[in-house]
Amino acid sequence: MASRPVASTWIATRGRRLGALTASTLLVAATVAACGGGGSGGSGTADDPTTITLTHGYTDAEAAAITSLVGEWNTDHPTTKVKIEFNGGNDNALQKTVAGFTAGNYPDVAYEFGSSAAQLARQPKLIDLTATVASPAFDWDDFYPSEREATTVDGKVVGIPALVDNLSLVYNKKLFEQAGVAPPTDSWTWEDFRAAAKKLTDPASKSFGWAYVNDGSEDTVWRYLPLLWQAGGDLLTEDNKAPAFDSAAGLAALGQLRDMVVTDRSVYLDTGNQNYLNLFNSGKIAMLWTGPWDLSSITSDVDYGVSVLPGYQGNHETVSGPDIYMLFDHSGPRHQVAIDFITWLTSAKVHLKFSIATGDLPLRKSETALPEYQTFLQKYPGAKVFVDNLDNVRHVRPNIASYAEVSTAVGQMVQSVLLGQAQPQAALDSAKAQVTSALSQHS
Amino acid sequence: MSSAGGVGERGSRAARSRVPRRTILPGRTPPGQGRAGQDQARQDQAEAPARRRRSGRPGRRGPVRRGLGDGLVGWAMISPSVLLIGLFGLVPVVWSFVLSFQHNDLQTPATSAGFANYRDLVHDEVFLAAVRRTLLYTAVFVPVTLLLSLLAAAALNRRIRGMSVYRLAFFIPVVTSTVATGVVFTWLLDPAYGLVNTVLAKAGLPTSGFFASPHAALFSVVAMTVWGWVGFGTLIYLAGLQGVPGDVIEAAQIDGCSKAGAFWRIQVPLLKPVTGFLTVWLTINALQLFDEVYVTTRGGPLNATNVVVYYLYKQAFELFHAGYAAAMATVLFLIIALVTWAQTRLARDASTGGRS
Repeated sequence: MASRPVASTWIATRGRRLGALTASTLLVAATVAACGGGGSGGSGTADDPTTITLTHGYTDAEAAAITSLVGEWNTDHPTTKVKIEFNGGNDNALQKTVAGFTAGNYPDVAYEFGSSAAQLARQPKLIDLTATVASPAFDWDDFYPSEREATTVDGKVVGIPALVDNLSLVYNKKLFEQAGVAPPTDSWTWEDFRAAAKKLTDPASKSFGWAYVNDGSEDTVWRYLPLLWQAGGDLLTEDNKAPAFDSAAGLAALGQLRDMVVTDRSVYLDTGNQNYLNLFNSGKIAMLWTGPWDLSSITSDVDYGVSVLPGYQGNHETVSGPDIYMLFDHSGPRHQVAIDFITWLTSAKVHLKFSIATGDLPLRKSETALPEYQTFLQKYPGAKVFVDNLDNVRHVRPNIASYAEVSTAVGQMVQSVLLGQAQPQAALDSAKAQVTSALSQHS
Repeated sequence: MSSAGGVGERGSRAARSRVPRRTILPGRTPPGQGRAGQDQARQDQAEAPARRRRSGRPGRRGPVRRGLGDGLVGWAMISPSVLLIGLFGLVPVVWSFVLSFQHNDLQTPATSAGFANYRDLVHDEVFLAAVRRTLLYTAVFVPVTLLLSLLAAAALNRRIRGMSVYRLAFFIPVVTSTVATGVVFTWLLDPAYGLVNTVLAKAGLPTSGFFASPHAALFSVVAMTVWGWVGFGTLIYLAGLQGVPGDVIEAAQIDGCSKAGAFWRIQVPLLKPVTGFLTVWLTINALQLFDEVYVTTRGGPLNATNVVVYYLYKQAFELFHAGYAAAMATVLFLIIALVTWAQTRLARDASTGGRS
């Protein structure tokens, strides 16, 4: 998922005016607004290089870093040329890529959320990378397991990891001190977390212990998943054919959220516009469950700490939502140039440069063994916990085309409980029915 | 007859004596102007034969040939617009209609679906609820916007120092980006930190969850969209009000009509065509509500603001059920066509058949 809710991106992606001609033009509006493309086969010489395009949603430091790395590639490989194009924000990367196919104008490489992998796996132009990553030189096992699983759909490798993250606990040290609460530890339980959030809440000053994104989207779902997994549950059955969250674990996870939100009122419910970060910056919220992408948006006057998520019977597992590069076939030599370029971009040495420039976590385990990794740690002290916390990623979200429907049902389930509109068991039952129906339509 | 009604009658007669009716509002006759209208009709009849004589000059073929040439030149002149509208308006509409009979994920080859998408729609509780919700939204949004626009226009239709500043102030929301409006309203209506709830609490009134509450979210969207559209309505009404000649009002006042009486009995009825236009325009826009939902609630919480176009967007671009979404678009198109037809019909009946 790993959405980077930078204000400018938010405005760029959501600022869509729809024509008033008829509602039906909506379907084609995005199709006409084609993106990507623009490559050329070339003859593979310095005068006529083989040109490929990469569409991405990087902004700020990440945009600068990718531009610099692509410049480096183009200098070192005069017979090829990589062009980069901003996709307007990753929130709509999938939509734009699909529209590009309809218009016959699509990129060679596209940056996509991991949750889009299964949707785009159906695309006939997709380049199957299973053989590429199998080569020993590629060292596929150097990537974290969650990244490898996120890029694999039905046993086929459909992309190369572009970014890895996870949810960790970020807290405001000063607020803990003021409230006389001991800071989070690696052995914090759900009860410790709940008690701390309660103590950090003060209705008079409108301060909350924790914030939860409660818009019913994947943002809502992926904060529920670690709770579900920690308690020993899972979202779907092993074969992804039926729901499995209607279990004791699913109930315990929902109960924990309800106790904190409805009973204790110690949680600020964010309606999905990412207000929580502004409120964290102004000292109104003491704890967040968030990823490394938010660290750069925390203002310098906030002294924050990072810890693993609180655990259930010693299980502190978290969720990761890797983003990926997906490659699409154009005739001729572009196919191979795209593979070569992405292999180079995600190699340990090159990606570590990107990490040092941006604060993004290392993609490959071997990056942490390189000498420059110390520079990374010095520059981003908060990142260490996130890197270590990658070992706490044990489950991945199901990589199936109907995941969006599963997510919608589970999101509404959590939302209805947190808004006090449904009891946990009733919400579980209703979501189970919806998921069953969604999964049966696709099989 | 009440005195106010009498004033209206007399007022309009006074108006007729000074200005030719036709220059006020061609073809439309406000209530209480029965005789004026009849006079007009007689005048039209008298003119008709004269017109026929002029155009029917015998023995000359010139005008016919020239007419054809004019037609070609005319078509040539509008062809760029026709082409563009055809390309970006008509082609998508037709394509969308074709799509609605397919199972299409926009990526793999489509398969024929027959009427399956339409059959599914009828049984889709979420869609049916979205239709009801959209109609409810429209039923609240349109009258509220009309009334507030009318009152604002009346207040702005006077000569005082700095009036252009006030008029500009009313129009600013129209040119403000929906995204910016969305961000501002999200903060204003934030349940915990919003200004509105703070004021409500200070005044001892109950606070609301607004966008975060399944009961209040739709009405919060109404408030936000009304705010955004009143400027537009005001502008149109203001133009209409300035087209009402001062003589009419003056005559009414000579006859002893109060200011409010003249407004409700003379100006508002004279604005009927403007109201008709605004009603149709606002209704079409209300039925197509999307942007404001997209930037604030994204259809939530718990589908409380899931209107037809938002649901369509979600089906097409998040779940990639493009054929199903296209079927929805077709149904919405029919609803809009039907509502618009009924409204124009009503407006015509009111303006032509309203008199006896």
